[in-house]
Formats: sequence, C-alpha cells, structure tokens
Amino acid sequence: MNQAEVSKLMSQLRVSIPKKPRRLRNPDGPEGRLNKLRKTVSALVKHERIELNSARAHEARGYAERLISEAIRHGDCHKATMDMANFWMVEKQLVHKLFKVLAPRFVNCPVSYTRMYKAPRQYPGPVTEIRRAVLELRGNPYPPVKPDMTQNRNLIHNVLLDEAKKQYRYEKYAQIAAKLTAGESKAEAKSTESADGNQKEHTATVEEPVDTKEEK
Amino acid sequence: MIPRILVRLEVLLQHMEHSFPVLFGTKPPPSIVSLVASNSSVPISSNSVEPFSLKDLIGDGFLWAVPRNRRTIEKRLKRKFGHPDYVWKLIKPKTTLRTCNQCGHDYEVGLLCPHCYDKVRKETELIQEKIQKELGLDPVDKEVIVLYDGEKGEKPNEQWNGKRIVEMQRPRPMWFSKNLMQKTTQPAATTEEAKPNELG
Repeated sequence: MNQAEVSKLMSQLRVSIPKKPRRLRNPDGPEGRLNKLRKTVSALVKHERIELNSARAHEARGYAERLISEAIRHGDCHKATMDMANFWMVEKQLVHKLFKVLAPRFVNCPVSYTRMYKAPRQYPGPVTEIRRAVLELRGNPYPPVKPDMTQNRNLIHNVLLDEAKKQYRYEKYAQIAAKLTAGESKAEAKSTESADGNQKEHTATVEEPVDTKEEK
Repeated sequence: MIPRILVRLEVLLQHMEHSFPVLFGTKPPPSIVSLVASNSSVPISSNSVEPFSLKDLIGDGFLWAVPRNRRTIEKRLKRKFGHPDYVWKLIKPKTTLRTCNQCGHDYEVGLLCPHCYDKVRKETELIQEKIQKELGLDPVDKEVIVLYDGEKGEKPNEQWNGKRIVEMQRPRPMWFSKNLMQKTTQPAATTEEAKPNELG
C-alpha cells in the first residue's frame, strides 16, 4: 500500500462542481473567460458579498472555494499556492487578506466557505431574463441575506433543547421532593407512627410535582 | 321529422317522373317536381333549362383561392388555445408565489424575498462603500468589524483587539440585530458541562 490517498492530495470542496466548466461567452475566448472569473473572484474576496449573473457566480464560486482551501492547507510559504493567489487576486492587497484574514477565519469551518442565493427577479419579467445570484463569503460583517430562523421554536434542535430542559426540571423537582419527604419521614419517625403509612405518603409526594408540571 | 318526410316525398316524385317515359313514350311531360316547386301560373318551356356554367357567374372577373375543406374541431381549438404542454395561449395561474414571513410581501419560491433583499442590499452597499473608503489600498490583514453610532464605547477596547473597526455614522437599523456580533467578540465558554439555565 505505497499508493498515496487520492483524497488527501486534493482539496475537498464543500460545494458541488459541475463536470464540465461552463463556457461563459466571451469575445476573447477562454482567456477572456478566465480574466472575467479572476475579476469575479477578486471582487468576492474584496467585498465579501456580490450580486452577479447566476452562471458566472456559480462558476466563480468553485474557484474561490478551491483558492481558500489551498490557502488553508498550504499557508503562505508554499510557492505554488502563492503563485495561484497571485494569479487569482487582481488587486494584490487581497493576497494578504486571503492568507491573513480568510484562512484563519475558515480554518475550522466544517461547511462551505461561500454561500449563494438566487436573487429576486422582476415580476413578471421577460422569459429570457438572465438570472441573478448573490454570492457571499461566510462570516461577513453585513446584515444576513436570509432572516435568522434560529429562534424558531419549531426547529428540531429547539424542540430537543426544550425537551431536555423539561426533563432536567423534572429530575430537579423529584430530587427536591425526595429531600422533603425524607425530612418529613424523619420527623414522623420521631413522633412514633407506623412505617406503612409513611411509605405511601413517600410515593404520593414524589409524584406530585411531576403531575403539576405536566398539567402546565 | 318533417324534413325526412319531405325527402321521402321528393324521392317518390322522382321515381314517378322516371317511370313516365316507360309508360307514355320517349318524351316525358313537364316535370311534376318543378311544377310543384315553382307553384306559378306561367308555363315552363322545355328550352329554358340550360347547363350551368361558371362564365355566366364570373364574367370578366377571376376567383381567389379559398379553403376547400372545413378545419376539424381539434385544429380549430388548438389554433385558438394552443397546447398546454407546448404553447398555451391562455393565462396560466402561477403556483410558486408565497408570502414572506418577515415582511408580508410576495416572493417566488426558491428566490429571495424582493423587499427583504432590497433592504439588505442597500445597507450592504453603504457598508461596503464605507469599508473601501477606510481600507484604501493598504494590504488587508485584519478582520473588519462594523459598528454603528454609540457602539464603540459599549465594550472595552480589548474586545476589538486584532480587528479593524469601521464606524457607520448612523444609528443601527432596527432589523440588523446586534447579536450577530456576539460570536466574534465573546470568549469561548470555559464550562464543560452543558446544562440548560433559566430554571424555575
């Protein structure tokens, strides 16, 4: 087993990349296409949120993800990565941003580094309208594009947290009740009463707080 | 009902007409059908019946081409309404519109809400402009934090350590929650036990 793991040799991206690169129409051919994509990736790194054609956004997204991923893996002392950064960043002050800001920001990011949304279109609009998209880096300082739904009570993790909270309360109440009854039984034992009657009271008092919580 | 009787009567009369030459010789008497149909006192001479010719009708004029067959009902309907799977000429109801939970405007499923996004886009553009003005052409080596009016003094300067602050000279919009900043400014929790708080 001397063969290297192929998955370790390449950056694993968290976005799906189409099998064939898009042929973005350009009068200068493939070279013009790359220049356009360079500009787009640079703008994304610079502004962290841009609105552009859907096709170009999707194409540029893959390149941006790959670039950030390489920057995280190899750092700024790796010549090939630095050359790549030099190629993709049209404005050279962004090379600093890539290695000093974005790489530390995304070093522990378990999901994709960018997000893409479909921008609203004119209604009803022409049938041949060019679709727009919003492309952004995660962790940007701007207001969120989509509303924050983490406070929604019906989200599964909120439901689970609520249940956990409830259960924790039941346990606490049960403990308190047990303590109280223990104190009572001691007092009752001192006053020389029958043990059978005490046990019945024990169970009744333990169950009481649980019932009251359920009713609420 | 009545037209059928009329047809039968006509057929009967024609049969009688044909049977006359057999009974009374080669020359038939004037036809009974024409007598009945005309119902006039003027006697019809045998010379008045001439073969029909288009020339009498048109004269010096000419005819355009005209449809020779009736179009079928299917073709007429398809011309009128189109086909639902290919070209449908009537208005189709759009079923992909929803109401935004945040602002109540209509939006298309899968796309962003136009009203909400417009708000966000305007604010984003303002912030971007401000950031670019602040950063200029210097190498960008720090995270940028955006603060609004009166937010800089709220927390000690150590909180912003290693971060570049860009101040917007305006109050924070109501819908742009300040809680978004908590993650970057608050230190990580030191407690290992994960227990819910707010008991009682």
